[in-house]
Amino acid sequence: MVTPRIAFFAIALTVTGTLSAQTVADAEYRIKAVFLFNFVQFVEWPPNAFANENAPLALCVLGTDPFGESLDQVVAGESVQNRRLVVRRPNITEIDDCHLLFVSKSEQPRLGEVLQHVGSAPVLTVSDIDGFVTRGGTIGFYLDRKRVRFEISPSRAQTRGLKMSSQLLGLGKIHHSGPKGGGP
Amino acid sequence: MLLFVCALASAGGHSVSAQTAEPAPSSPVALKKLSLRELMDIEVTSVSRNLTPLSQTAAAVQVITREDIRRSGATTLPEALRLAPNLLVAQVNSHDWAVTARGFNGISVSTGSLADKLLVMIDGRSIYTPLFGGVFWDAQFVPLDEIERIEVVSGPGGTLWGANAVNGIINIITRSAEDSQGGSVTVGLGSFLQKFGEARYGGTLGKDFFYRAYAQYFDADQTTRVTGLNGNDGWSTTQAGFRTDYRRSESDHLTVQGDVYEGNQGEPAATAFVNGQNVLARWTHTDSPDSDWVTQVYYDRTRRRFPTARFQEVLQTFDIDVQRRFPAGEQHSILWGVGYRHMWDSITPGNSFSFVPHQKVMRLFSGFVQDEITPTGTELRLTIGTKFEHNEFSGFEIQPSVRLAWTPTQQQMVWAAASRGVRSPARFDTELKTPTSLGNPDFAAEDVLAYELGYRVSPTEALSLSVAAFHNQYSNIRSFNINPATPGIGIIENDQEVTGFGIELSGAYQAATWWRLRGGYTYQEKEFRLRSTLAIPFSDAFEAQDPQDQIILQSVMDLPRGVQLDVVGRRVAELPPTALNPRIDPYTTADVRLGYTFGRWEVSAVAQNLAGNHAEFSSPILAFEIPRSYHGRLTFAW
Repeated sequence: MVTPRIAFFAIALTVTGTLSAQTVADAEYRIKAVFLFNFVQFVEWPPNAFANENAPLALCVLGTDPFGESLDQVVAGESVQNRRLVVRRPNITEIDDCHLLFVSKSEQPRLGEVLQHVGSAPVLTVSDIDGFVTRGGTIGFYLDRKRVRFEISPSRAQTRGLKMSSQLLGLGKIHHSGPKGGGP
Repeated sequence: MLLFVCALASAGGHSVSAQTAEPAPSSPVALKKLSLRELMDIEVTSVSRNLTPLSQTAAAVQVITREDIRRSGATTLPEALRLAPNLLVAQVNSHDWAVTARGFNGISVSTGSLADKLLVMIDGRSIYTPLFGGVFWDAQFVPLDEIERIEVVSGPGGTLWGANAVNGIINIITRSAEDSQGGSVTVGLGSFLQKFGEARYGGTLGKDFFYRAYAQYFDADQTTRVTGLNGNDGWSTTQAGFRTDYRRSESDHLTVQGDVYEGNQGEPAATAFVNGQNVLARWTHTDSPDSDWVTQVYYDRTRRRFPTARFQEVLQTFDIDVQRRFPAGEQHSILWGVGYRHMWDSITPGNSFSFVPHQKVMRLFSGFVQDEITPTGTELRLTIGTKFEHNEFSGFEIQPSVRLAWTPTQQQMVWAAASRGVRSPARFDTELKTPTSLGNPDFAAEDVLAYELGYRVSPTEALSLSVAAFHNQYSNIRSFNINPATPGIGIIENDQEVTGFGIELSGAYQAATWWRLRGGYTYQEKEFRLRSTLAIPFSDAFEAQDPQDQIILQSVMDLPRGVQLDVVGRRVAELPPTALNPRIDPYTTADVRLGYTFGRWEVSAVAQNLAGNHAEFSSPILAFEIPRSYHGRLTFAW
């Protein structure tokens, strides 16, 4: 029996259609929406962060909303620590009853103003603006080899009265922003 | 007396398209079912592949990650496989291992094991040999550092993956070249694993084309036989390879990879020389978030030669697979695939045994179709499918399965499955020729009907637990029969039936940010029955020598100042004595690794098998004792 040599290298690549960049961006924000949903499960807010016992836990998107419907879909019908989750899209003067504040990239030019407005209120600030944590935010998304990662400042959460679970800290990159630093 | 002496050979294998991209379910609601850790593993560009994430699979799945492997101190692939609690792994001697799931670690033939009920793939390239249906583990040298993860499924997976996935599938997935950019050099020295080195470099051409190349060398000492004599089983291998990943666009990804290797393995009677080459190309085309095409081709050549026994086998494999996934309406996701494999081998008969004919072409045609049904408004997911194969030995085989998953809450899932799996006949069953026994051209495929029930729960983000129970009904299992037509020469038949059942528990626990625990417990039992009075009564002794249970526990600690302290402990029950083999004592042992990272350097010291000399597997003539050993390694990465 012969042992024929088979040339198998040639693979014709016929490309039919490409995904638009938009679809990829959608996927990225679908994933980030689920991250936000996860974050609120690992953070405990102080009682004074809520108007009353039945007040919902509000996830707010400030600026141009990159999530489309995905954040609403993720949060629909969910509750955390017996509080209903709601999504709001306030303007900067209406963020007082937000618990998680996602700062959209559209707000980059006035990020200082936004953070100043939040002050030391018990609000978990999250964004994917470059250098967000260095500039005073609490959780900053970044991409590492096309995967979503996050940087987190435990000391800044602490000064706002937010308790973060060790699991969350274990998964994020710790940013030593405060005088005492944090993490192991 | 039947004597099945057979110095076996080579790698090659069976089919199926790879599912290597990290599953990225496209809908936000599906993404919610992932843990935060799993979310972090999803590539934002791989919007395709609306695959079920592993944690939601209606099957007994274990995943070993690159980090698990690195922190275990493992130096060979089978050592890494020990980290899957649902695998039974026994080191036979310095370079041979017996690896199975749910039992059936077959007798030691020459020195390896006849275990033939697992399908093992490296990046979609099957590595089991059609010579006997098992794997030559000493010819599989994936650099452990390049492994992204190892998925281990216990239970039949033939519907998607094809024949030989009777008791499980091992899917070894290497990192994309995009993920291994930069260089690293590792050198090591030790007492048993004496010398090893690895160098790797990954770079990029333009912004869409990534490559890496590696070379590694490995040299291990001999063991001691239980009789006190030297094992003469030291070995060394050299392997080099490459991988390129090209993202032509967001929807097209082309991977081309290949390896060459050469090694020699000491045997008490005769040293074996192996070498081989393989190359694989895979093209993934994503045409929408829910649909894609995967086309894969590979070529593999492997040679194993025993100069003193004269035996040699050269096996070449060419394989092509095409797989398509697309949604049908709101509730269905259809997956189908077709494949063709062409294997041809050439055997130089040994002094006392042979396979007739000496040259053989083996063609394998396969196709499968599967529908994943998610009825709207329910928490159920039903997966039904079947595989059709036509092989050279037993013709058409059908492997259907039904799987049902119920996810009442985000944190828990109940699943059940019924499936049929087939082990195709191998040349050993059909064409073996020794002075005392003959293969049987009419040997039928062995098959199993498996019923499984499982539950997975994650009560907190830090803790996940899983339990799977199985009941397997095997028929047509190989037997060794007296042949009235040829007195004194036995014949291989299908005259055993086996009932097997067992349970697999596993869990992972993040005890603190710096301390992670994972592990599991496996219990299995089997009962053999003979179907013919011609079958020799101890036919079962060839097919299985398994512990009834085992426990594995891995602890990974990040201590302050970059110090890592890691332990893998395991306890394996006795291998009961059989008509052919003596009992192997139960053993408890541990591997300990101490590592330290400073800048671009990492240094580690590993003590393996702290309990010291013990045998893990036996054979009629020889058993080898695995020693306690120490090694150190130093890595510089840039």
